[in-house]
Amino acid sequence: MSNQSIKPTIEIAHLSKSFGNIEALCDVSLEIYSGEILAIVGDNGAGKSTLIKILSGALTADQGQIIVGDKSYSSLSPGKAIGLGISTVYQDLALVDCRDVASNIFLGWEPVYAGFFVDKRKMQKEAGKILADLQINIPSLNTPVGLLSGGQRQGVAVARAILQGGKVIIFDEPTAAMGLQESAKVIKLLLKLREEGIAVIVISHNLHQVFEISDRICVMRHGRVAAICKTKESLPSQIVELIMGAPDKGACVAAGVYSDEAI
Amino acid sequence: MTKNKRILTICLLIIFVLTLGGCGSNSNESKVVNEGKEPAKQVSDPKVEENEKILMDQLQPMPELKKGEKIGILVITLANPYWVTLKESYERAAKELGVNVEVMAAPNEGDTKSQLETLQAMTAKDYQGLIISPIEPYNLVPGVVSANKKGIKVVNLGPGINVDAVKEAGGKLDGRITVDFAEQGQRAAEYIVEKIGKDGGKVAIIQGIPGAGQSEGRTSGARKVFENTPGIELVSIQPGNWDRNTAYNITTNLLQAHPDIKGIFCCNDVMALAAADALVAAGKREGRIIFGVDFIDEAKEAIGTGKLDGSIAYSMDAYAKAGIILCLKTIQGMEVPKQVNSPLAVVTRENIQEYKNWH
Amino acid sequence: MKQFNRFLLIWDQKFSQILLGLVLFTTVFLLSLASPFFMTWDNWRNILDQSALQVIIAVGMTFVICTGGIDLSVGSVTALSGVCMAAAMHAGVSVEMAVFGGIVAGAFVGMSNGLLVSRLNLNPFIVTLGTMAVARGVALIITKGIPIYGFSREFTWWGNGHIGPLNPPMLTAVFIALLGALVLNKTKLGYYTLALGGNEEALRRSGVAYKLYKLIVYTICGITAAIGGLVVTARLNTAEPLAGSMFELDAIAAVVLGGTDMKGGRGSITGTVTACLLLGVLRNGLTILSIPSYYQQLAIGVIILVAIIISELRLKNAPGHGNIIH
Repeated sequence: MSNQSIKPTIEIAHLSKSFGNIEALCDVSLEIYSGEILAIVGDNGAGKSTLIKILSGALTADQGQIIVGDKSYSSLSPGKAIGLGISTVYQDLALVDCRDVASNIFLGWEPVYAGFFVDKRKMQKEAGKILADLQINIPSLNTPVGLLSGGQRQGVAVARAILQGGKVIIFDEPTAAMGLQESAKVIKLLLKLREEGIAVIVISHNLHQVFEISDRICVMRHGRVAAICKTKESLPSQIVELIMGAPDKGACVAAGVYSDEAI
Repeated sequence: MTKNKRILTICLLIIFVLTLGGCGSNSNESKVVNEGKEPAKQVSDPKVEENEKILMDQLQPMPELKKGEKIGILVITLANPYWVTLKESYERAAKELGVNVEVMAAPNEGDTKSQLETLQAMTAKDYQGLIISPIEPYNLVPGVVSANKKGIKVVNLGPGINVDAVKEAGGKLDGRITVDFAEQGQRAAEYIVEKIGKDGGKVAIIQGIPGAGQSEGRTSGARKVFENTPGIELVSIQPGNWDRNTAYNITTNLLQAHPDIKGIFCCNDVMALAAADALVAAGKREGRIIFGVDFIDEAKEAIGTGKLDGSIAYSMDAYAKAGIILCLKTIQGMEVPKQVNSPLAVVTRENIQEYKNWH
Repeated sequence: MKQFNRFLLIWDQKFSQILLGLVLFTTVFLLSLASPFFMTWDNWRNILDQSALQVIIAVGMTFVICTGGIDLSVGSVTALSGVCMAAAMHAGVSVEMAVFGGIVAGAFVGMSNGLLVSRLNLNPFIVTLGTMAVARGVALIITKGIPIYGFSREFTWWGNGHIGPLNPPMLTAVFIALLGALVLNKTKLGYYTLALGGNEEALRRSGVAYKLYKLIVYTICGITAAIGGLVVTARLNTAEPLAGSMFELDAIAAVVLGGTDMKGGRGSITGTVTACLLLGVLRNGLTILSIPSYYQQLAIGVIILVAIIISELRLKNAPGHGNIIH
């Protein structure tokens, strides 16, 4: 199942980013395809969150390009990224705790009538619908989001990303704080999104899940791409070794992309 | 409601009830009725009696006394000893004349808005007459109109309310009593000039709040004398805003700019005392003349010790008494003179002994 | 059972406003017992008139505090705008243009505050402390320290005119309060104002031009302060460069007393208006009872402290108040 003949939805080319003296990302290149779940794994400080924040526009890279369709961008703003169809569910969820569920789901793109007035009724209706679709149970939409459980809050953030209707959805540690039942729901959702042809990027520490659902795994180490492997052709032990830094090119050669120096 | 909230709610309500309940029973604080606080009795003084006579002559024939009318009095502030002394004079006079007065003031000397608000609240009460002293010529005009509408007589004491503005707003003043501010400034300046002598020298004026009646009057009176005396150079006129601190700083700056300054006229005692303090602190008090206006108690002492050279005085007791009498005349429908003027006395280090018992 | 829980949730959110309403009602009741002059139409007209100015300024301040910021310059802006209008009118400019000019001056200061806070990320307290001094300085320079007196009837109408039993300041206050409530609760600007206070980063990541909205909010505050300047200058027929001192504290007190959270994200115009009324009633009541003015400061200070303590205790565990346990 080689994807090389299909054009990538997003191409990340040679991204670099430093914070002062710390090199968070160094010459990172990656391709993202629709209808695929790409997992990004790596130890703490490997640069995973930085990478996706640049993709989502929350941060700007020092060097490199992001190519979407025919256009190449050296930097994105959050609005631009969303406009290009890249939605993100951040690890901290980026919710406004004192505001209610519907306001959070529609944060930044509230429906209006008469030009100025927020259409609260429409917001609540749509919010109710998407939450039902996602099987997220929130009894009252007027509840301030800060009072909801972790799973419910995640649900709100996910609902927002999905409703933004993009071609790429990024999930940063989606099941980190969840129990088994809720995690299972998230997995089901990710698979459904893939079926619908959306490019799904998942950052995860949970290798079990990674192997359960992803198509490709991008291993990051010290700000670089250590390897990009096809899930079906890799073993968890190999991935662990790549994360930690032991050489095993093995199955990754078949994927055709890896970086020598870092290994 | 959780227990905490309930407790807090109850506490808040209790505080309210206590505050207001307590206030309600103490509202006689500044009323002078048959019982209540006795303002200190004053020793009689020939100078004061002289002062009073001149005032009373202007108010003949006297109105009927001891009829218990209610008069509201609005002064500028109770944070300035001048107005506090005047309040006590009002209360003494009211007792003597057998009427009820309540003396109110704005919280700060410069707070024109809240003085107007206080006046408007006063017009909602049952006073028959009001005696008001505005911070500025215009700020009380709407209040005067409200009082007129309710048939409350309005007497203007001291700093003047702009009569044209009142007329334009459709109101009127029923009486006016004041001191001649220009004359105050003039006589103070004359003393300074006389003391400086033939050699002449530099002088300065520290005003009150620019534009306010007393300030403008005294400044212009003094200025005329200074500018028309050969050998005297008026180097500076600065606004002290009736404030001690401001006047202190102005004086230290004056010393820097004009180390040879010989005389400073301040539009009130509060500022004059501060100016004197500044000079003493700089070791430059000797050979200079500082003159104030109002003759407040602190000034009386300072002139006695030589810290202050002099002040312009008029009897507060007589002034307050005349104010109330004027108000009574308007309430009782009697005719009043267009303006009643209080006579002045120039109190200096030379004649301070004669004014020991001044009030 | 679910309905009851929902009711409790709403009750909790509106708790402070209901409590405030009760306190206002109790105070009015007690004052009317303490003095026969309190509950007269004349006296109430005074209370409403005097509260009007505070409402106008406090509505703008509510917006700023909802974003988690603060604006200490409103008192100086009131003076500055009054001085600009006065200087213009004395120079022969028409009343309409002079008023417009004064309001533009206020908007300008508000915009400066907004730019410094949103673009340079400076602390609003420090920034507005600075603009407070600058605006005051400019007012003093324009007037050379001397108040400007005497304006045309057309102008003073804005402070002393009559529209039936009401007057322009009251109606202006009502208009601004209604507009403020509408904007805060029902428009995108209002939503984003609250989001800025609740979680500015979340708003940023949602692609909203959040810096622009912050700028707008501070400009609104400058404009309401300038309108306050119009009212006070017209009413007193004087433009004083030293006017408006302590207005910012009065406004902040009203906003906090009204239940708006100083950390941002939660606010109510209704609460602000009720608080202004309560403070107006208190001041008036103390005068009606002939209580010396020094007690006014004490009484109002105590009320505000108690209100802040209650508010803090209530919001301690509220979502978004800065101590999330998630």
